[in-house]
Order: sequence, then C-alpha cells, then structure tokens
Amino acid sequence: MGSITRSFANLITANGPSAVADGSVTTADISGNINFRNIIINGDMSIAQRGTSATGLTGGAYNTADRFYLNMGTAGTWTNTISTDVPTGQGFAKSFKLDCTTANASLSAGSYMTVQQRFEGQNLQYIKKGTSSAESLTLSFWVKSNKTGTYIALLKDNDNGRDISKSYTISSADTWEKKTITFPGDTSGALDNDDGASLMVYFWLVAGSTYQSGSLQTSWNSTDDSAVGQVNLADSTDNEWYITGVQLEAGTSASDFEFLPHDVNLKRCERYFQYYHEIRMYVSLARIGDTSGIWTPSFYYRNKFRTTPTKVYYDTDGYSGNSNRMRVMRLDSSNTTTTNINGGFYEDTNTDFAINSYNTSTGIAGYGDSAILTFYDLEADAEL
Amino acid sequence: MNINTVEKLYNGINNQHNGYELILQDDTKFSVPLNSENRHYQAIQEWVADGGTVIDNPPE
Repeated sequence: MGSITRSFANLITANGPSAVADGSVTTADISGNINFRNIIINGDMSIAQRGTSATGLTGGAYNTADRFYLNMGTAGTWTNTISTDVPTGQGFAKSFKLDCTTANASLSAGSYMTVQQRFEGQNLQYIKKGTSSAESLTLSFWVKSNKTGTYIALLKDNDNGRDISKSYTISSADTWEKKTITFPGDTSGALDNDDGASLMVYFWLVAGSTYQSGSLQTSWNSTDDSAVGQVNLADSTDNEWYITGVQLEAGTSASDFEFLPHDVNLKRCERYFQYYHEIRMYVSLARIGDTSGIWTPSFYYRNKFRTTPTKVYYDTDGYSGNSNRMRVMRLDSSNTTTTNINGGFYEDTNTDFAINSYNTSTGIAGYGDSAILTFYDLEADAEL
Repeated sequence: MNINTVEKLYNGINNQHNGYELILQDDTKFSVPLNSENRHYQAIQEWVADGGTVIDNPPE
C-alpha cells in the first residue's frame, strides 16, 4: 500500500508544527475544524442535479454544478458544462467549464461575469467575523484557461455591505494551475446567525469599468465590488475557463482538498436544491372535474430544505411538457389529461408540500372518483 | 432573473393568497411560496419595487 500524505499545516496548533517532525500525527496534535473544514459545498463539482450542460447563457442562474451560481450581464453568451478535464493526479474527476460562444470585446461600464458560491451565516459563526479574533480565510482552487493574465477573487459580506478582493494570475495557457489566496480576518461586521446569505465568494471573469476604477480593494472595505485588473474573458469565442478543487477554510494556509463521500456531498447540496422524476400520487375519493378542484396528498422531500423552496413541475417526461402542470389519470387508464397547478398550496413548507388546484376542468372523473396524479421532472429550489 | 409576469395564487379551500406563479421570459413557470427567505420571492419583491405589476385574479 502506498503512503498517503496530507497537509495539516494550518490545523496543528495544540503541540505546534514540530509535533509532526517524525511524520506521526495523533489527535492530540490536531486542533481546529478538521472535518467539514471546507466552507465551499461541492468544490469538486461532483454533484450536478440540474444537468451537466447549459447553453445560450446570458444572465444569472444556477446551471450545472450544484451550489455554483453563474452571474452575468452584458458579458457575451456562454456554455456551461461539467467537464472531465481535470488536473492530473489530484483525485478530481470533474471540473466546471465555461466556454464563450458569443464574444463581447467592447464591454459596457456595467458588464460583469462572476462564478459565485453563497454561504449561510449560521455556518460561519466560528470565523468570528466582526470581532478582534476574526479568522483569516484561505481560498484554494485549481484553474485553467487559454486566457492568461490577472483574475480577481472576492469575498463579500452580504450582511454588512463589506468586501475584499485579491488578484491571482493564470500564467500558462491551457495548463492546470493551483492558486492559493488568503484573506485577512475582518474585525468589523458580524455575520447574521441565521440561514440567509451572509458571505459570498466571487470568481471574477468579466468586469466593466464600473468595477475597475482606482486600485484593487485588497483590504475589507465598504465600497462597491472591486475587480481592478480583471482580464476580459469574454473578448473571444476561443476563450474557456475551468475550475475545480475549490476550498475555502479558516486559517492562513491551504490544506489538502477535503474530499467527501458522494452521498454526503449530495445531501449537503440537497439542502438547497432537489430534483425528482415521476412523482406519482394516488388520490382516493378525489374531487376531480368540478370547480372545487384537486387536493393532492402531501409530498415529503428527501431532505429538509434551507427554506420553503420554489417549485417547477412538468406534465410530460423529459421537461418536454408544460411547466406547472400535472398529469391526471383515472385508475382504469380510461382517460388521461393534464391540468394547471394554479391554485397554489394548502401545505407548503421546507419539508413537504400539497397542492390545491381549484379551478381545474379536467372532465375525466367526477366527485368521489380516484386517480393517479403524476409530476414529471420536479425541481425544488431553496438556493441562496 | 428575467421576469415576464407574476400572478397571485389562491388556496381554493379558504381563498387565501398563498403564493405566486412566476413566469420568466423563456416561459418557464415557477410556483413561488410566500417566504421572505426564498430567492424567487425576493426577486418578485425587487421586480415590484422597480415597477412590475402583479396580476391578481382572486377566486369568486
């Protein structure tokens, strides 16, 4: 069996770095938040519930890799995919890829494009932001692009309107490079202890003049987002950008990427987004086909959401039907139709939902009949 | 978020307003809960603040 080397440089504080001089580490030598030290969720891009490819992108949306939000405006048109192009020998299987399909070489002042992840404040109280003991945060990641030059990473305190920017350089075209950036702790502005978006990390890719005035704001400040020096990744349809192995952790140095089991990673993502295929509900003695409409049974999510999610349903398999409709079928299959889900909910929480569609006119069953209701391709979204 | 229209949803049991149907410019329809922590609900409030008008057809 080969040896496994892991870096605990910023975690070992109980007995100091000398404690591992002989290569042995005991739990007594290690303090700090070792498990789940990566604040980023899905940093290895292994979870993509929404799909692995999205084209024609011009605005903000979650598209492929869970938890990674692509935000842009007047920054060309892009394709976002999950790629198998990864840094060799690092253990990664997937990367997040952006490919420019329509360029914008003459940016507007307000042009912007960032890849973001947003974090709940209740998960970050341990970084002690807003106190004299505020922790530094270190961001590490693997990145690759044909477009060399200066790029900007930014931390944003969404509760207090504060941010800090740091630059990094892609030195060699089309070559995976590991970058490490340390942001000092912020002694001002405590993060809210709740489930709202308190802290965000931005990877800038396009920044118009609005974001490029003055000098880069490399200390915590209350000015607008700063991306001074950022290259224009949208200036050519030849441009691509890949990232994987994204880790943000307390401390002043980067530890090895924290790989999590797939099921753990998925469950963490499902606090914010869940996808279901072909949900079937048996409705006995339903009121179907009159003006009082349909009441569905409660549907319970696999995992509890951060908050009550937005839902999108389709009445036909493969997203090919109409959104916000469900299929209604008599038990003897003698009649099938679809109906709008236009009555909202009589149960709608972060654990379950039940629908009332009050003015349906399905005409396939009467009061007291039974039916099967089917939702195809249900997406539920409680992202930050 | 490119909002096209927003319409109030009503619970047919007690006729209470209990959500929104949000339609984006690509015609995708979303059922949005009345929850201030939901990002689509927040986007609707911003859209209204910017002059958007919510369609309201309460049940009779």
